[in-house]
Amino acid sequence: MKDSLRKSYLASITDRFVRGQMSRRDFLGAATKLGLGAGALGMGFGNRPFMLSKAQAAEDLVPNPEIIAWLKDVGKPFAGTTLKLATESTPPSNAINGQLKKYFEEATGIKVEIEVLPLEQVLQKLTLDVASSLGTYDLYYIDQSWAASFSQDVFDPREQYSAKADLAMPNYNLDDFLPALVDGIAKYEDRWVGVPYDIPIFIMIYRKDIYEKLNLKAPETLEELYSNSKIITDEMGPNVYGTTGQMKSGHYSLECDWTAWLWGHGGSIFGPDGKFTGNDERGIEALEYWTKLKATMPPGVDGWTWDGQGQSVAQGVAASMLSWGEFFPYFDDPTQTKVSGLCEVAVPPRASSLRTVKETGYGEIPGVGHQGGSSLAVSRYSKSPDAAWLFMQWATCADTQALITTLGGGTGPTRASVYDDPRVLANARVGAGTTRHLPIVRETIAKHMGSEPDLPEWAQLSSDTIPVGLGKYFAGSYGSPKEALDDIAAQVDAVMKG
Amino acid sequence: MPQSKSARTFRTLAGWLVVAIFFFPIFFWTSVAFRNARDIFDWPPKLVNFTPTVKNFEQVFGISLGFGFGTQETVNPGGGNFYMAPRLVDSIVVATFSTLLAIAVATLAAYCLSRMQFRGRHQFVNWVLSTRMMPPVAVAIPMFFIFKQLNLLDTYLGLVLVHGLMNLPLAVLLLKSFFDDIPSEIDESALLDGASRWTIFRRIVLPMAKGGIAASAVLCFIFSWTEFLFVLTLTQTSIKTVPVVSSTFVTSIGTAWGNMAALGAAAIVPAFIVILLVQRHLVRGLTMGSLKQ
Repeated sequence: MKDSLRKSYLASITDRFVRGQMSRRDFLGAATKLGLGAGALGMGFGNRPFMLSKAQAAEDLVPNPEIIAWLKDVGKPFAGTTLKLATESTPPSNAINGQLKKYFEEATGIKVEIEVLPLEQVLQKLTLDVASSLGTYDLYYIDQSWAASFSQDVFDPREQYSAKADLAMPNYNLDDFLPALVDGIAKYEDRWVGVPYDIPIFIMIYRKDIYEKLNLKAPETLEELYSNSKIITDEMGPNVYGTTGQMKSGHYSLECDWTAWLWGHGGSIFGPDGKFTGNDERGIEALEYWTKLKATMPPGVDGWTWDGQGQSVAQGVAASMLSWGEFFPYFDDPTQTKVSGLCEVAVPPRASSLRTVKETGYGEIPGVGHQGGSSLAVSRYSKSPDAAWLFMQWATCADTQALITTLGGGTGPTRASVYDDPRVLANARVGAGTTRHLPIVRETIAKHMGSEPDLPEWAQLSSDTIPVGLGKYFAGSYGSPKEALDDIAAQVDAVMKG
Repeated sequence: MPQSKSARTFRTLAGWLVVAIFFFPIFFWTSVAFRNARDIFDWPPKLVNFTPTVKNFEQVFGISLGFGFGTQETVNPGGGNFYMAPRLVDSIVVATFSTLLAIAVATLAAYCLSRMQFRGRHQFVNWVLSTRMMPPVAVAIPMFFIFKQLNLLDTYLGLVLVHGLMNLPLAVLLLKSFFDDIPSEIDESALLDGASRWTIFRRIVLPMAKGGIAASAVLCFIFSWTEFLFVLTLTQTSIKTVPVVSSTFVTSIGTAWGNMAALGAAAIVPAFIVILLVQRHLVRGLTMGSLKQ
């Protein structure tokens, strides 16, 4: 049996066993046929295969009793309150909504209603709520690109923590949030616009089997990424392409891809004087590189957001992607994809040169590991800000984050301590909801993270002006990368001038 | 004129081809609902030879079909909580009652506009028509503020009212044209026999316009069933209709196509049942007035 097939089959049976769909006897029998002993599987008798069995998982994955006791004590005055939150359908929100909020509700008597919507609809709802100051939502899910826009409409959690000592969760520890994420996601000027809630970040995901077959190694530089992708496309196209993208015209995803290549070539979106610099020499070089790289991607890539990009890897059409790390647990799920156990992760390819924060504008942090993410904050217009603050502390404390990471499918935690939590480490195996990619996510956050600028106009620039211009470029509306970027620069200036 | 055998065969084949073209998207979408996620994007696409699963329906409707489990608590790894059965009920309630409201008011208004002479009648019809010209997005946000003040946000009553009002102009105009096609001499004869306006409307005109009412009701039902913007703006967590919850299958790590297709396939059924129930009248209603006497 080929190694790739063996891995795929192993991933499949392991996942079925973990889910309780296969008996221990059958699992061991199948594993033996694959030539694996119990030791190789990491399981002593009576212990967990790949660390986790279904029954044990159910026992282990409940909130810390001390936190529940604190919630019972402090939540009494708020029993009967209803809190509302509008959020994107992300792993943390889904895990809280589907599996965890019941613990909070039982302990406090506070009802939590979570409205799950696509990202652009969340923005519409929040904008309406802020414009009306009606307080229809008590908590705001704030994408990092909106932080500046909503910075005055939410409480700074540091102030809440110190001002309401009686409601402060013991050991909540604001310092545990990864400082890079506080800067990149939750901070605007001197204010914290909530606390970091989730962290999708660009990491390198690649098909190890294909790379091995063609004697390639994980790309360490952007040029290596291109040459690897070209070799794969030349050798295996049109069945398999070297890499893929999220290049839908006019969509935010296109802007995300652009920043990675721009920063990776030593460029930046803004200069220290606040002027658009994406059209300078570095910017043109980056767009030329991207154009070259696009030739190694599947046809149709300019119609895809991250959804199509992820599907192209999941279906085995693309051999690599520099994209959101939270896709990786999905790729490892044998019921969802054809590449379970075949993908590996690496930190993003090294930038050819990198500007410093001082050389950019509006707090932009250059780095190939484009960081997305969101923060969770209490609305200033909430009728029940104290109850909302209790929920927010619980939803973002280390214990809940560890549960979210394990139950919510291996999403990246925003707290340093959660990366070392035994429950999270126990899921570092091939299969659905794996956390085996998290060390790379952590390293990327620490060393390779790139963060978008913070300015009130950024929501419009990143979701409309820039991706529309780039979309037109890839559709052939401009004669050269310089012409396209100069036009985008003019439009950005117009938006900035209002 | 008698047709040759080959012409008849060609006509039949052309008919089947047209049916197949219209039916194919429904067939393919429904087949997606019965596929595992990993089989949905197979290339080349497999139309029939895939391993069927009911998992998507189990997750969306929270019922066990004997192959696993599917409850409100179920969360797909990395995906969403896709239990949507109550949302189908929401859609049925809103579409049914808003249709009843629109038709009840519209039949009375249309009858008056068709039969009664009063000052500004034509202008009134034009005014009714003009309300259809206003883009819904222009009123959605003011509606949000009004509904918030009236405590109608996120309620059945609020959505029934807004969908009923949204469909009212269309229903009035359609029904007026149907009433116009019923000869007014019938009313006059009944008046001479001593019948009141209400009796004429209820006992004579209404039964004769059944087909038109059915056609209008079907259109109102379908417009309410598929309406997106008002539901998105005027609801939060208590109520949501199928078009709005369909968008929640779009998650941060991709779209749950299988679950979305399961809900979509199931959502066809109630609208289809409504059309079947009124089909007899519908055909008559849609052809009413097509011949001039």
